[in-house]
Amino acid sequence: MPPVNELPVKQSRISGRGTGALNRRQALGVLASGIASGLAACSKPDQQIIPYVKLPERVVPGEPLKFATTLPLSGIGRGVIVTSIDGRPIKVEGNPRHPASLGATDVFAEAAVLSLYDPDRSRTILNSGAIASREAFRQALQAHLQQVRQRGGEGFRLLTGRVTSPTLLRQIDDVLQLFPKAAWHAYEPVDEDSERDGAMLAYGRPLQIVPRLEKARVLVNLDADPLGPGPDQLRAARGFADRRTPQGEGFSRIYSIEAAPTLTGAKADHRIALHPRLISEAGIAIANSMGAEIRQAELPDHVLRVVKQAAADLSANRGGGLVLAGQALSPESHALVHWINQHLQAPVDLIDRADRTAAGREAATLAELTRDLASGAVDTLVLIGVNPAYDAPADLEFARHSAKASFRLHLGCYVDETAVLSTWHIPQTHILEAWSDLRSRDGTASLVQPLIRPLFQGWTDHEVLALLTRHADASPYDLVRETWRPKAQGGFEEWWRQALHDGVIAASAAPPITPGPPKLPNVSAVVTPSAAMTILLRPDPSLWDGSFANNAWLQECPKPLTKQVWGNSLALNPQEAKRFGLSSGDVVTLVADGRQIEAPIAVEPGVADGIASLTLGLGRRNAGAIGNGVGANAFAIRTATHSWTIPEVTITKTGRRDEILTTQNVVRTAADVRELYPLHDLSELGKLQTTSSADARPSLLPEQPPQTDDGHAWAMVIDASICIGCNACVVACQAENNVAVVGPEEVARGRDMHWLRVDVYDHGSAASPKLGFQPVPCMHCEHAPCEPVCPVAASVHDSEGLNVQVYNRCIGTRFCEANCPYKVRRFNFFGYADGEEYANLGLEPYRAQRNPEVTVRARGVMEKCTYCVQRISASRRAAERDERLIGVDEVKTACQSACPTSAITFGDLHQQDSAVNRQKADPRHYALLGHLGTRPRTTYLADVRNPAPGLDEEAT
Amino acid sequence: MQIFRPGANAIATLVLASIGVIPVLAIGLAYQIVGSAYTTDQDVTRNQPVPFSHEHHVGGLGLDCRYCHASVETARFAGVPPTETCMTCHSQIWTNAEMLAPVRTSLADNKPIAWQRVNKLPSYVYFDHSIHVAKGVGCSTCHGPIHQMKLTRQAAPLTMHWCLDCHRDPAKSLRPREAVFDSEWKPPADAEKSASQLMATYHIRTDHLTDCSICHR
Repeated sequence: MPPVNELPVKQSRISGRGTGALNRRQALGVLASGIASGLAACSKPDQQIIPYVKLPERVVPGEPLKFATTLPLSGIGRGVIVTSIDGRPIKVEGNPRHPASLGATDVFAEAAVLSLYDPDRSRTILNSGAIASREAFRQALQAHLQQVRQRGGEGFRLLTGRVTSPTLLRQIDDVLQLFPKAAWHAYEPVDEDSERDGAMLAYGRPLQIVPRLEKARVLVNLDADPLGPGPDQLRAARGFADRRTPQGEGFSRIYSIEAAPTLTGAKADHRIALHPRLISEAGIAIANSMGAEIRQAELPDHVLRVVKQAAADLSANRGGGLVLAGQALSPESHALVHWINQHLQAPVDLIDRADRTAAGREAATLAELTRDLASGAVDTLVLIGVNPAYDAPADLEFARHSAKASFRLHLGCYVDETAVLSTWHIPQTHILEAWSDLRSRDGTASLVQPLIRPLFQGWTDHEVLALLTRHADASPYDLVRETWRPKAQGGFEEWWRQALHDGVIAASAAPPITPGPPKLPNVSAVVTPSAAMTILLRPDPSLWDGSFANNAWLQECPKPLTKQVWGNSLALNPQEAKRFGLSSGDVVTLVADGRQIEAPIAVEPGVADGIASLTLGLGRRNAGAIGNGVGANAFAIRTATHSWTIPEVTITKTGRRDEILTTQNVVRTAADVRELYPLHDLSELGKLQTTSSADARPSLLPEQPPQTDDGHAWAMVIDASICIGCNACVVACQAENNVAVVGPEEVARGRDMHWLRVDVYDHGSAASPKLGFQPVPCMHCEHAPCEPVCPVAASVHDSEGLNVQVYNRCIGTRFCEANCPYKVRRFNFFGYADGEEYANLGLEPYRAQRNPEVTVRARGVMEKCTYCVQRISASRRAAERDERLIGVDEVKTACQSACPTSAITFGDLHQQDSAVNRQKADPRHYALLGHLGTRPRTTYLADVRNPAPGLDEEAT
Repeated sequence: MQIFRPGANAIATLVLASIGVIPVLAIGLAYQIVGSAYTTDQDVTRNQPVPFSHEHHVGGLGLDCRYCHASVETARFAGVPPTETCMTCHSQIWTNAEMLAPVRTSLADNKPIAWQRVNKLPSYVYFDHSIHVAKGVGCSTCHGPIHQMKLTRQAAPLTMHWCLDCHRDPAKSLRPREAVFDSEWKPPADAEKSASQLMATYHIRTDHLTDCSICHR
């Protein structure tokens, strides 16, 4: 093969003419200049200190400031407190005052700070793909609106996601008043249509349910997943936890009947995998047992036994029994559940929905919009923060029909699938850059305040709507204040400051409604089962509806039940997989109603027969450098009528393989599970002995931790019975501790950097898994196996019991990692955060997110959980400055403060009344691998379940 | 037959000796270089955009350290004053001084003055001014005779060795609280007795002061 001149290098001057030889003089010259420039490079670069010209009020350079704001998920607000250092928001924590946060966060809130700095965010106005100026846009818009106004708004359509913002709703009213013939449409990819329609059937009004899990002594989930990801997860999780402490009042019993594993199902006392068609039957059986007298439910015997027990428990707990229905169920089933709950006087509030305007306007549907688009009745389409070209039901063919509107304006954070179809694209601000307001699931309103000026010249939705209504110069700040001015009690400024400070508007929750007795729905005849598979769709636990697809933390956040990262997969149970001759990693083609996608198979026990489950939110084409082309796009086979279950799907093997990327496996070996994740029945708890000491066997180590004069002994206790595996702690740790993302290629080599992982244990069988979660940070062993093997003493103990890793000593032998029985040490095989970042993660904007209190680790260095030593240090310094001792439970680690169920407690063993000491006195207390004699400081409380007596194991 | 000349004996002895000596010398030299002012930048004076004189402002006029370094008692970073702070006086005095032109330009253009950093610590060291001040370590203990410096120089080597010297035995660096910001403070005659008293007053525990996690995280 002839050599190919791949890199045509220009002839340089020093190489001489023609001959390519250097003479002596030139050679010495080159040598000297080389040495000189080398020496120059060795000198330390000068550093500069740039102070402010005018120091902003309250800013102390390098010190954190905290501000309350609200983050939306599917348009529903969750209150948070954001930490900002030197004007850079770096960490999100929960707002204890906000009813949708209660001091905790979820993965989406934690990851918001990374999205803020995403360099792939849209930066400029685009006119049909070409960069345009603000002025050009304003002129084009005003000229076009002139025509629209003359027609009274005919052909003008506004498309939004779910809107709960009182200010935006007020502006929508203004737009529709100005353009009387215009229409407002709204849709949400993670829709709640059947819940809404169910309320319509039962009460004749689209009421919103607000379940109160803290009052539910018996909870029956009919494919519902209140503990799973979602805008109401934090409130539900806290309610769940309140009912799951053995010492507390009325330990709850949870039944989950579901088609594919969920977090709620994992924590349930009885879980049954069932086809959605049969789950509706279970609802009928429960209603019948309460005297509904509908037709006979058709259920297999073993299911019927559990359902009867559940119904008996519900009836026995009037006022404390609660049934919840999931989105995959029909509106009729939801209506039936309303009837059951009413009958039980269940702890569930009914409130008016927040997504309608003050004038009573409600949004029309997306289907109506595409119908009008297809008929050519729409010429102006304004899309506010939505991406229908990606996430609208495939049968609506939004992309094709939208071309019929001549003026298509899109406001979005990214130049996404919809932006490229638009005639005008406007960059949208991130929620941390905007003024706005939002309502949470229970109707509580709270303000959104910016933490930073828009990084990329973005516009808020309020600004764009103000442009439509000719209030071109209105600032979002004034618009939000205008909304609330009439509602403020007392002086407005004082009220406003208080609302901003608290992050919640007092007494703004929607009052519960008593709508009268619900109607019993007409339950249709049982559908005859078909042999074809049904696809069950779920929002992705890490990426939700796909709007978080370009967030590397979320892409690499192991999905709670499968531990899959960087992608999704079609989950089948082992029997179904065997029937199709498939194994994990086989790529299959799914054909549903003529539409097809390809996805890899994951064999997952716990999926119902006849069901294959797939998550939404992946397979993005225009998400950005992180999210493009990751996973399979389930939206491509979703239809408006079958939004959560797609019937009659054919699955064919392609013959190709695509390995599922996971960070670890679910532990199913029975002996290991029993030892590492003990699970007790509530009824047997009394027999347990309290073992506050980690291991009773004799040891050469002192019985008590080495005592320093008034020093501390930090320890952590994790309560496995209330851990719901939501991953909030994992992402919180990542944000707090500058934990790097490694990318899919590295994960495929078995590497990842999470300091905190959540192990999953299965106490059940392949047919019916019984899962439990165990977060595993560093154990900070008092007798740490990692320490004696380090040749450079980079792994050492400090006087307060922390096992610290000294990065600047570490030479990367990895002996410590090999000797750690808990496998919590992480090695920087490459400069994951330091020059060899995955995709766009090395770009400048991301550097602003880094926590300045934590070292960014370089290549070749071992790292691990530090118990958030920077937080301990900050508390210690603050205490010593004030000449006091660190208060009891004053230090909170990042994982602890993120946890929605407060499963993680952290504190000082030397303080008698600390929470960790209370937890350690619990009879369920145990040390992981305690028999190794490592004396871990991180210990656990065993999981507790409360199965109904008499229901045999096989049935559950 | 002799193949080596008599002088070869001396050379051989020398080579053998140097095999032993050179590594020792090399290590010694490396230590010297690492600890020398060449590496540590000790006593290096840096040019600043405005030739600010601590001698004039502190020694001469008697300004308190905290007038400019306002966050020294509350934060890790002592704080370099914003242009505004300079202009509190210089809008009244020396308003036309050539030397102060960058300060006036900074305020007029809203562009900060880029000062050259004098005291540098590696990025993996987390030093906190506030806690040292609160525990009675004086400014001049580390920053030297700042009231005599026309241009600011780095007075201490800022090596880990130097930090540890004090963290192992803090008593000798402590002052009464009222003397912390006094750059001309001299230890009293009964230095040892007052030092042990101060250790008690400030509740200084030395058992954890040499923990790695005190400075590195």
